[in-house]
Amino acid sequence: MLVFIAKRARNAVLLLFLASVLCFTLVVSAPGNVAILIAELRTPTATKEDIAKVEEELGLNKPLLERYGFWLQGALKGNLGISYKTGEDVGAALRSRLSVTATLVAGGAVVAFVLSLLVGFIGALWAHRMPDYIMRGIALLGASTPSFFVGALLVYAFSVNWHLLPTFGFSGPASWVLPWLTLGFLPAAVLSRVVRVGFEDAMAKPYVLTARSKGLSQTRILFRDALPNIAPTYLNALGTQIGTMVVGAVVVEPLFAWQGLGDLFLAGVRFRDFMVVQACLLVFITFFVILNVVVDIGITLTDPRLRRQRS
Amino acid sequence: MTAEPILIVKDLTIDLLTAHTAVRPVDSISYQLRRGETLAIVGESGSGKTVTCFAPLGLMPVGVKADVSGSVLFEGTELVGANEETLRSLRGKSIGFIFQDPMSALNPARRIGHQIAEVAELHLGITPRAAEARALDLIKMVGMSDPNARLKQYPHELSGGLRQRVMIAISIAAEPKLLVADEPTTALDVTVQAQILRLLKEIQARMDMAMVLITHDMGVVAGAADRVLVMYAGRQAEVGPTEKVLVAPRHPYTMGLIDAIPRRDDAIGSRFRGLSGLPPILGAPIKGCAFTPRCRHSVEGCGAQRPPLRTTADPAVMAACPVLNA
Repeated sequence: MLVFIAKRARNAVLLLFLASVLCFTLVVSAPGNVAILIAELRTPTATKEDIAKVEEELGLNKPLLERYGFWLQGALKGNLGISYKTGEDVGAALRSRLSVTATLVAGGAVVAFVLSLLVGFIGALWAHRMPDYIMRGIALLGASTPSFFVGALLVYAFSVNWHLLPTFGFSGPASWVLPWLTLGFLPAAVLSRVVRVGFEDAMAKPYVLTARSKGLSQTRILFRDALPNIAPTYLNALGTQIGTMVVGAVVVEPLFAWQGLGDLFLAGVRFRDFMVVQACLLVFITFFVILNVVVDIGITLTDPRLRRQRS
Repeated sequence: MTAEPILIVKDLTIDLLTAHTAVRPVDSISYQLRRGETLAIVGESGSGKTVTCFAPLGLMPVGVKADVSGSVLFEGTELVGANEETLRSLRGKSIGFIFQDPMSALNPARRIGHQIAEVAELHLGITPRAAEARALDLIKMVGMSDPNARLKQYPHELSGGLRQRVMIAISIAAEPKLLVADEPTTALDVTVQAQILRLLKEIQARMDMAMVLITHDMGVVAGAADRVLVMYAGRQAEVGPTEKVLVAPRHPYTMGLIDAIPRRDDAIGSRFRGLSGLPPILGAPIKGCAFTPRCRHSVEGCGAQRPPLRTTADPAVMAACPVLNA
């Protein structure tokens, strides 16, 4: 098991390096020039010389390889550079916003986990009966509704109508509930189908016939026989969904005026602020890579066939 | 063997209703079984052997609705029309089941110790700890080496033969009075088949269980069954004591089955003797004797009327054949 984790960690580092190269390449080859933007900010009638001066200041006139090498050196020491736009330390900006996005994604993940299991279990326990159909309907609705719309509906219901929760802001648990629900709703809908379909599949397996021949109750078979068999598939899907939640955060954060990574990233993209975009991408990618390793370990732990093979 | 039968099946007829079709895989089957006795149900694939035993106990695959009529009396309890609650209380406790394919019948995600112990815990009303001790005893009883380690293993770590031993341990964990074994040796290596069959017989003798052995292997019938019921197209063709039916089959179908067994004096490379033709398609209407199209002895009247099961020249053997009965 330890060897397996070590191997995964090594691959993760390699992957991170490749991703950083790709990220750098993409960002520098994107259309638009930050030097022009900055020069025009200083003097609206910026000349070619002004722009060249800005490029000189920011080191944008150096060869690409050198720029990448310089950036990587800094990144390894934890120095992610200075924002072209604000002159702020990018690392510091990231740190202050990381906790906001982490709160959002973690809460959203819990919402998705709890809701999907609840909806999936109800569907499986009352398979092909009314509750199942209702849950299926909710899942379909949830999977096909964009999160900004869900968020608006939630705000309308809980804040505007019932005055239960704040409409926006990042000020304590009460203000977290709506963003969490908004972010977790779509993944919950998708995952509930994974649970429901997984149960349907598992309950048709010969080992379930064996379990029934033992005289076990249907509910017990669902939880004791079917559940362990769908756990690896579910964990895999959960990992994917948590990954996409980071992307969802980019949409949900502005909706509730949260100053998170998504917000920072969007601002960076708009201003061609490479340093910020690159740093944000690096954080996202790191998160994905770590998530992947964690999911892999989780799957290995829940599937005995993989556990022996990898230990 | 003189006691009251524990299982009395009378005119059991089963219709299976799926989304698209309705078929009758079991048509008027009757038999009785006493403690300690083994009945082999023999027939080709699709002859209704498995459904005969599983449908009355509510053990059908998901999505298949079985319409059961007739009567199945188990220790005085009528199973036909009984609710799921009643059937469930019998399954595992009074009636144990062994399935054909031990590769898929065990849960791949659970330790085999748990899979055995839960039966004992549920039906014997004992603590989880006592149930685990019972599982250990059962693993020893079915002849597995290193029982303590086995408890903690998963099915994929065991060979087919060992898995079938686990299945047997599960089926007898609550000391049932009846064991239903559906082709227990079919999926196993030839060398392992004999071991498993011997084990089953040993356990049956020790626990004084009745056993229904579903098989298409005449070798298994000869080695394990007291009586044999030959099924064709969901109907009984012949019933009688094993030694009589195997040595002197009366029904042309039974004759064909026994004749099809390869013999030692067959020349090497000689063709297999098989029954020509195919069994009738399930769901197609059958007129008269179902075996008529493949029968070497059929006469004109065979297709006219369904032959009743009648006592033959030997009063212990019954057969449903228009030619014999005439």
